[in-house]
Amino acid sequence: MEPVILHVADYLSLLNEVLHDRVPSNEILIEGEVSDYRVAQQKWVSFDLKDEKAEAVLKCFATTWQITTPIEDGMRVHVKGFPKMYERFGTLKLNVQSIEPIGEGALKRAYDLLKKKLEAEGLFDVSRKRTLPRFPKKIGLITSRDAAAYGDFLRIVNNRWGGIEIDHAHVHVQGREAVGEILGAFRYFNMLPVEDRPDAIVLTRGGGGLEDLHAFNDEQVARAVYQSLIPVVVAVGHERDESLADYVADIRASTPSNAAERVVPSRADVKYELDMMMRHQEQQLQFVMDEYRTAADRMATKVGHILERERDRLLMMQTRLQDRAQSWLPALRDVIESSARLLRQVDPTRILARGYAIVRVGGAVVRDASELAVGRELAIQLGTGSLDAEVLRINGKGKQKLV
Amino acid sequence: MKKPITVDFAKSFEELEKITQWFDSEEHLDLDKGLKQFERGLELASLLKQKLSEVENKVTEIKKKFESE
Repeated sequence: MEPVILHVADYLSLLNEVLHDRVPSNEILIEGEVSDYRVAQQKWVSFDLKDEKAEAVLKCFATTWQITTPIEDGMRVHVKGFPKMYERFGTLKLNVQSIEPIGEGALKRAYDLLKKKLEAEGLFDVSRKRTLPRFPKKIGLITSRDAAAYGDFLRIVNNRWGGIEIDHAHVHVQGREAVGEILGAFRYFNMLPVEDRPDAIVLTRGGGGLEDLHAFNDEQVARAVYQSLIPVVVAVGHERDESLADYVADIRASTPSNAAERVVPSRADVKYELDMMMRHQEQQLQFVMDEYRTAADRMATKVGHILERERDRLLMMQTRLQDRAQSWLPALRDVIESSARLLRQVDPTRILARGYAIVRVGGAVVRDASELAVGRELAIQLGTGSLDAEVLRINGKGKQKLV
Repeated sequence: MKKPITVDFAKSFEELEKITQWFDSEEHLDLDKGLKQFERGLELASLLKQKLSEVENKVTEIKKKFESE
């Protein structure tokens, strides 16, 4: 068989092809211990992956974006990536896709490092924590529908309060898909139009070890909680469990049930408060009404006094008037009687009775004979009866006055 | 299911709180105004209590697969 002659570059690219085609990189997690961990220009990461027992070294290369958890020398990790021959250096390196600390020790260390970092950045600042509206209309719930936390949360919400909407985003709360799904759910709620956004987001799950809680300790999840426009309540498992998402959350609830207690008020409390408010209003009003009543009573008494005084005055005046009338009346009677007497004396009929007569022409009394003409008809009234006569002669026309 | 009452619980509660505060803040409470406020208070309280009697919460499953981008 004739040997094939290849240039170095071609040979290396042949190797790379084989490595790519024949190594099932997606299905392999390489376990080892990190050493010589370096970051260049805050972007390029290189480290060696070693076996503790056998002397075996795998050079690794990554960018900082692929490293989602803080890594240190000495950590035991699982690395996923694909191998590549680098032409310029003639070395084989693993192009890292993801790296995850394993074992409680490594996880705890990674957790502590990330916690320190986020704390320094101010993600846990108390000053940025928002309060929840007291009476939410809508709650966004991020958890697994298979988790006990889901049932616990809903049960307590239903026990306490009613008439609200709960939008549930079903996500894995552990395992490979958890982080991506939780991030997706946060994005979903935050991208809703303002009027459709829930008043609070509740991210919850049951308790567990560091390994189970990895999604809640993930840097991206912590940042999603931090960046959420909607206030976030995080509740993980039992009282003693803690997660980085807890620290970033606006409200850290101890358990899923406690999260329910933190987001909705209880009917009994609110009913009591309503009753207290109404009782207070009623008391205040009663107080004023009493004041008015007292004032009205006082006024009525006063008016009574005035009326009584006026009545007394009236009675007194009446008496006085009567007394006065008693003294006037006889005098008045005398005056009237003397007037009547006078009137009686000038009564013409009494003069006629003495023999005088009244002569009238056409109804008018005749006082002067010269006013008359011969033949005029006269009406003569005597003391008793009257007669008509005719003028025969007029004596002493206009000269004599008899009276 | 009981028909939900269209009342904004938070807003109505706030209004009731304001009325309650009003009763305390008036230097000399006007009886006429006080009665009117009290009447409104009663109305709100009864609405809110009706709302309190609602038992159901509506749980909606978001039909979306959540994934990172």
